[in-house]
Amino acid sequence: MRIWGSRVSFVTFVVTLILAATAVALSSTGAARTQPSLADDQATSLAAWDQIATVLEHPRCLNCHQLNSPLQGDSRRVHIPRVVRGPDDQGVGAMRCGNCHNSMGNNPTSGTPGGLDWKLAPVSMLWQGLSSGDLCRAVKDPKHNGNRDGSALIRHMEDEPLVLYGWNPGKGREPVPIPHEKVVEYMKIWVAGGMACPN
Amino acid sequence: MITLKVNGESHELDVSPEMPLLWALRDRLHLTGTKFGCGKAMCGACTVHINGQAARSCSIMVGEAAGKTITTIEAVSGKVAEAVTQAWQRLDVVQCGYCQSGQIMSAIVLLTGNKTPTDGDIDLSMEGNICRCGTYVRIRRAIHEAAKSLA
Repeated sequence: MRIWGSRVSFVTFVVTLILAATAVALSSTGAARTQPSLADDQATSLAAWDQIATVLEHPRCLNCHQLNSPLQGDSRRVHIPRVVRGPDDQGVGAMRCGNCHNSMGNNPTSGTPGGLDWKLAPVSMLWQGLSSGDLCRAVKDPKHNGNRDGSALIRHMEDEPLVLYGWNPGKGREPVPIPHEKVVEYMKIWVAGGMACPN
Repeated sequence: MITLKVNGESHELDVSPEMPLLWALRDRLHLTGTKFGCGKAMCGACTVHINGQAARSCSIMVGEAAGKTITTIEAVSGKVAEAVTQAWQRLDVVQCGYCQSGQIMSAIVLLTGNKTPTDGDIDLSMEGNICRCGTYVRIRRAIHEAAKSLA
């Protein structure tokens, strides 16, 4: 009898659970019906951010968003020879970025990568070690993104020569794996959806 | 045609803009004081001055250097250059000598921008110039000596 009694309690519990779940599902459907675009936009914005984050965390971007010395290569090792930021983000003394990196582009003979205004990203834009959520909040924070609003961020991704370098890094370095036009599209979706960030 | 302004003279060269500047200096202009070391901007033997900066001529391309002021070890001059070369001779810095034109070119840039470099400043600035004979201690001392003589 006790066994049977337990079974009755269990069945009651399961039925209650199903009813509760249905109620929650119905109520959320109702909420979606009242504000469909906002929820949809946020979800799409968040999904777009996930794609953007894989780009920003790629060595082609992250290697120069470092505090004092850039990293180098797909293996992300510290830059050889050692170089440091200096007061203008372009090195010190006889060790300045432009001493080796050509503003006209990659050097196919020496293999040295290049691009216009080669330098470390500003100290306000350090990304190393950030979670996807923290990176997202940093990227949309004008204090940490060079005082850019959403449309300026899109333009930055569209036109900035050092950003474009990520898709043309020269032999021996992996380009950013998502096509540039797709990334720009993701940026537009992310911005249009309110620049949603993961928690 | 690309115009290179080297050691105060203009040269018209029929070369690819992607040619490393070092190739043009050594093979076309026969300025062989600047040395080939690694060919990938890792050793500093090919250091020259471009607009007063310590450029690695194996990595900087001819098209990048076009129209700028290029100075090689053959023609580097002025107070700082004199102080550095004299200190180099006084302390007998050179061993095999292969890296020394690059070392001297970098030391001149360092002392031009920093009249009183610390050991740390010297290490950071000379980081890209490798000496296989290991004359680093004498190089550092010679830079301090040159700084003193310039004071």
